Amino acid sequence: MIRLKGIKKSYFIGERELPILKGIDLTIESGELVILMGVSGSGKTTLMNIIGLLDKQTQGEYFFMEKNVDGLDDENLAVLRNEHIGFVFQQFFLLPYLNALENVLIPIVYSKKNIKHPKEKAKQLLTRFGLADRMHNKPSQLSGGEQQRVAIARALINDPDLILADEPTGALDSKTGNEIMELFRMLNEEGKTIIVVTHDPKLAQFGKRLLRIEDGVISQDTTN
Amino acid sequence: MGLSLKILQIREFLEETLKILFYYKGRVIFSLSGVALGILSICVIITTIDGANKKAYEIFEALGPDSIMIFGGSERQRMARERVATLTYKDAESIEKINGIYDITKAYSVRGLTLRYKDRKWQTNVIGSTENYFESYKWNLYMGTVFRKNDEINAEPVCVIGYKVYDELFRGEDAIGKTIQIGKLPAKVIGVLEERGGAAGGPNIDDRVVMPLSTVTTKLSNEKRYLGVLRVKTSRDVDSTIEDIKRVLRKNHGIVGDQDDFTIRSSRDILQFMSVISGSLFLFLGTASVVALVVSGFVLANLFYLTIQERKKDIGIRRAYGASRRGILISFLFESILITFLGGIIGIILSVLLQGIFEKLFDIPMEFSFKVVIFALLFSCLTGTVSGFKPALKASRIEPIEAIRG
Repeated sequence: MIRLKGIKKSYFIGERELPILKGIDLTIESGELVILMGVSGSGKTTLMNIIGLLDKQTQGEYFFMEKNVDGLDDENLAVLRNEHIGFVFQQFFLLPYLNALENVLIPIVYSKKNIKHPKEKAKQLLTRFGLADRMHNKPSQLSGGEQQRVAIARALINDPDLILADEPTGALDSKTGNEIMELFRMLNEEGKTIIVVTHDPKLAQFGKRLLRIEDGVISQDTTN
Repeated sequence: MGLSLKILQIREFLEETLKILFYYKGRVIFSLSGVALGILSICVIITTIDGANKKAYEIFEALGPDSIMIFGGSERQRMARERVATLTYKDAESIEKINGIYDITKAYSVRGLTLRYKDRKWQTNVIGSTENYFESYKWNLYMGTVFRKNDEINAEPVCVIGYKVYDELFRGEDAIGKTIQIGKLPAKVIGVLEERGGAAGGPNIDDRVVMPLSTVTTKLSNEKRYLGVLRVKTSRDVDSTIEDIKRVLRKNHGIVGDQDDFTIRSSRDILQFMSVISGSLFLFLGTASVVALVVSGFVLANLFYLTIQERKKDIGIRRAYGASRRGILISFLFESILITFLGGIIGIILSVLLQGIFEKLFDIPMEFSFKVVIFALLFSCLTGTVSGFKPALKASRIEPIEAIRG
């Protein structure tokens, strides 16, 4: 599903080059549950952004779903993100003026995919995540764990092939965090490919495969 | 999303945008009211000018394009609202002989007479005129009849009353044959004139009483020599007829040079006057409303800039979930246009309400047309597009990662 070849990424501060990723070769197959671990500044978020088609590498090749995506323009990348990737963020990022149900439906607005009965589907997802009676609440009326579950439902509404979660438990207490990780494990068992980016070593136990990134290179790649 | 939006998505898109507007209602109301005021004033200007023009054309039509009015007193004296009697019956005779003049209406009016009927009172002007007055003004009757040559010869105490007078004294009852008191003179009502409606801001032309000239000059006043107004119609060119009238009057009055003691107006002067008035109205009010719209456009643009800073994460999320740059641009632009569009609608509604009030209170006719609505909506959408474009462009240029990390 994901194939990275010699990926390098540098930021430029004036004339000075600041290398973040220093040559990443990585293949992730369909159906994997990967924990991408690294301390802050290791380059893990940059790597996730490149995988998520939100950022472009300075050097190297990226094949997403067997297709080279390096030359694609903004419009095409937006379509790929919409159809194949669901994002989950540390701060949930629900839109404050929409209720839970409407937040789940956001990707539908931008979708060219023909999802049947999106509203019914969103309700099913929320019900499944134990939010049946919270559907019409605004984000400000939901707890952190509830907000994150809404965000996960939003990531799933468009039937993506890949879920990218950036520190999904970072803003939650450990019990709620574990519940969220269990949810990811369950989704993975149903066939979703999931990548969780974190600095928290305790999350390693939830993955099938552990990738450690240190100083812009992959230092560990183990599969349970 | 781009241009391949499905119908269902357009509805959702609209609903979502309305929710955004509701969420940021404070600043939306601010921009909304600015646009509404601008559009309101534009609507008022257009409808007032249209109404005034319509009225002017009606007057022009009623007077006939070939009619000329001659008043006593110079231009300057008329401006100062001085009433100077200089036109005589002899002048009328001389003018009547001018080549091409086929109709002459003599008139002499007495101002501010009190009319009484039963316990009702009304003060108005009484115009004494010849029997061709009604024909000459193309003024039809609401009920009854007009006076004839005989009434004029015998100075009969009969009168034809304007609709306003009828309304005040009779309130819809039958007036024909009833006797009213005009000053100290009892007079029989023989006719009621059809309603013409008030001219823009001027005196109500339905507020008048018309009697035979001789009745007015012998029984309501004692004026044997002078006339107030002469109205003539010509089958010749209006300008050259006016020159002839001037020559005759100067000769009769012994005027050398151009210190005329009379004033001549043609119906074209009325049109000209109206176009000057509507021109200046348009200039002043038009400038004011354009300024109002420009200012509200600036306010909108600036508030929008602020919102974008606040909504960076919102933009980032939408970008991550599949919105392209163009999608963000379109949705922000749409939001801005929706605000000004709603503002425009509010402005139009307000102007319709205001129109009713204006017409009731000040008797200003306003001509509300489809044209005004289209123009106002186009103008408000234009404001939204212009002021929303730069902020929307800025929003579309925000990188998703930058926004999400922010």
